[in-house]
Amino acid sequence: MSIEILLVEDSPGDVRLTQEAFRDANRLIQLHVASDGVEAMAFLKREGARIHAPRPDLVLLDLNLPKMDGREVLAQIKGDDDLKTIPTLILTTSEAEADILKSYRLQANCYLNKPVRFDAFESLVKSINDFWLTRVKLPPQTPSG
Amino acid sequence: MPLKGNSSNSVRSPPTAMIRDLSTPNAAEKHLAQMESKYHGLLEAAPDAMVVVNQGGDIVLLNLQAEKQFGYRRDELLGQMVTNIIPEGFAERLIADDLRSAEDALAQQIGTGIELIGRRKDGSNFPIELMLSPLASTEGTLVTAAIRDISARKAAEKHLAQMESKYRGLLEAAPDAMVVVNQGGDIVLLNVQAEKQFGYRRDELLGQKVTNIIPEGFAERLVADDLRSAEDALAQQIGTGIELIARRKDRGEFPIEIMLSPLESTEGTLVTAAIRDISVRKAAEANLLQKMKELYRSNEELEQFAYFASHDLQEPLRMVASYTQLLSRRYKGKLDADADEFIAFAVDGASRMQRLIQDLLAYSRVRSKGMNLLDMSSEDALQQALVNLRGAIEESGALVTNDPLPRVVADEMQLIQLFQNLVANAIKYQKPGIPLVHISAVRNGGKKLLFSVRDNGLGIDPQYFERIFGLFQRLHKREEFAGTGIGLAICKKIVERHGGRISVESQPGHGSTFRFTLAGSKEAS
Repeated sequence: MSIEILLVEDSPGDVRLTQEAFRDANRLIQLHVASDGVEAMAFLKREGARIHAPRPDLVLLDLNLPKMDGREVLAQIKGDDDLKTIPTLILTTSEAEADILKSYRLQANCYLNKPVRFDAFESLVKSINDFWLTRVKLPPQTPSG
Repeated sequence: MPLKGNSSNSVRSPPTAMIRDLSTPNAAEKHLAQMESKYHGLLEAAPDAMVVVNQGGDIVLLNLQAEKQFGYRRDELLGQMVTNIIPEGFAERLIADDLRSAEDALAQQIGTGIELIGRRKDGSNFPIELMLSPLASTEGTLVTAAIRDISARKAAEKHLAQMESKYRGLLEAAPDAMVVVNQGGDIVLLNVQAEKQFGYRRDELLGQKVTNIIPEGFAERLVADDLRSAEDALAQQIGTGIELIARRKDRGEFPIEIMLSPLESTEGTLVTAAIRDISVRKAAEANLLQKMKELYRSNEELEQFAYFASHDLQEPLRMVASYTQLLSRRYKGKLDADADEFIAFAVDGASRMQRLIQDLLAYSRVRSKGMNLLDMSSEDALQQALVNLRGAIEESGALVTNDPLPRVVADEMQLIQLFQNLVANAIKYQKPGIPLVHISAVRNGGKKLLFSVRDNGLGIDPQYFERIFGLFQRLHKREEFAGTGIGLAICKKIVERHGGRISVESQPGHGSTFRFTLAGSKEAS
């Protein structure tokens, strides 16, 4: 049984690194990518071309995105009755206190800084896998609707 | 000295005898006798020398003071020519003074008499002041002369004149413009510097109001400066005078510094003003201020640049570092040996660049991200730094100890960073053996505390004591010790932001002690 993760990230370099890191951490993970906020919402709402998109078990969300930024996506996810149960982790380079506070205000499940060094990033991904995908009990999948 | 008598050689008898020689005293004569005796009384009691002279110029009456002043006995002078005691000037005075009555002359203080020379019996001369008045008598009009010895006054006047001339000399020679002002605010004296500075000729300024050259502020200054003496004012350099605006003859204005002092004179208290043109100084001050502003702005720009450069560089750098590491991991041994080596260099380069940028970012943030300095425990900060360094401490087997540390006034994050950098260095630059690091603090005069971080490491050559705190300064090759050369620069910036100083004491091979000062907490600790 695969684990579906939606990665909302605009930098292709970061996307690839995340893929490599998760592949090493857990082979069951299926990583889906949306490169801006609009695509992310389409995926989550299964609209248009994304009509067959799976419901993610976890969302990894960068803050600085083109078109619709991560803060807006977060607000929409947590404002939607159906989507708000999906654990949404902010994964960003921003260390600004204002960003941290705002994210938690909007009910982000947690806030993570992308480490500068790659080995530290790998270690972080492993931690995410250990915690969110192994120890944590995720909400049961409800039938779509 | 022989006295000159009249051409007829007989000595006349005193008028008192003549007056008494009247035949039958009737009522009028009795009255006259009373008047005369009253007059004699006044004469004898007068504080000044009194001499009565007849129309022939002979002395017919004199008092005790006259005897004393001229050194004669009374009988030696009676009947002699007055010119024996006042050689010149007596006759002329007669004409000038013919309006004053006898009683007035006797009663009034001599203040405005004529100055002549008196001669004593021993031939010596002395300056006198003379006031004459007519005296009616049966023998015609006599002249009463009140004579005052003014030697003392003359000496004082001469002294005063010398002082004045010396003062004028000083005034004229003074390097600053000097202007003397009377109580009405008129200029009564000025020197050549004043002429030059204000562009006036002396006669154009004398008698003018000082407000013509110093429009505002002069009067107020008078009140402030009334304690300084004239000589002090002239001698002292103008350093703390007040700054005002002065106006030249051509209406141009220029900044001045003035210092005032009182000057006693026969015309009341005058004010001496020492005036210095400070245009050059003011221009220099303005220039300096401008340069400081520019420097400050330039510093800020530099810090902003350092921040943005390092911040924006981090992102692409992360890509390079991460992918070269991935390459290394995935393809090591799978490509040829050259590829392995190339990749290794790339990984190393990227990794060093990352550390450099992180340190540069930290350096640029010392000021911009600095928090307020608060009362806190430096012991807690050290312990947190040691927690952060746990890995490095375990790996090196170092033994880190400390004395109890006091409360300080500091930025918590920065103090932790400071301890962290210093202890990390202490552990890193080591000889073989167990690294020992000890941290302590002592009071250093008043509220300052002196912290020491002592190690038993490699030590530092004294010629580098200053350099090591510079940006990007390294003393070792990269192969020997890794490091960006920014750590100590950050320490220095943190310490200086806290108003302290940092220094090192060391001997090559014998360890180093880094010392820095911080403000102690206001409460006793």
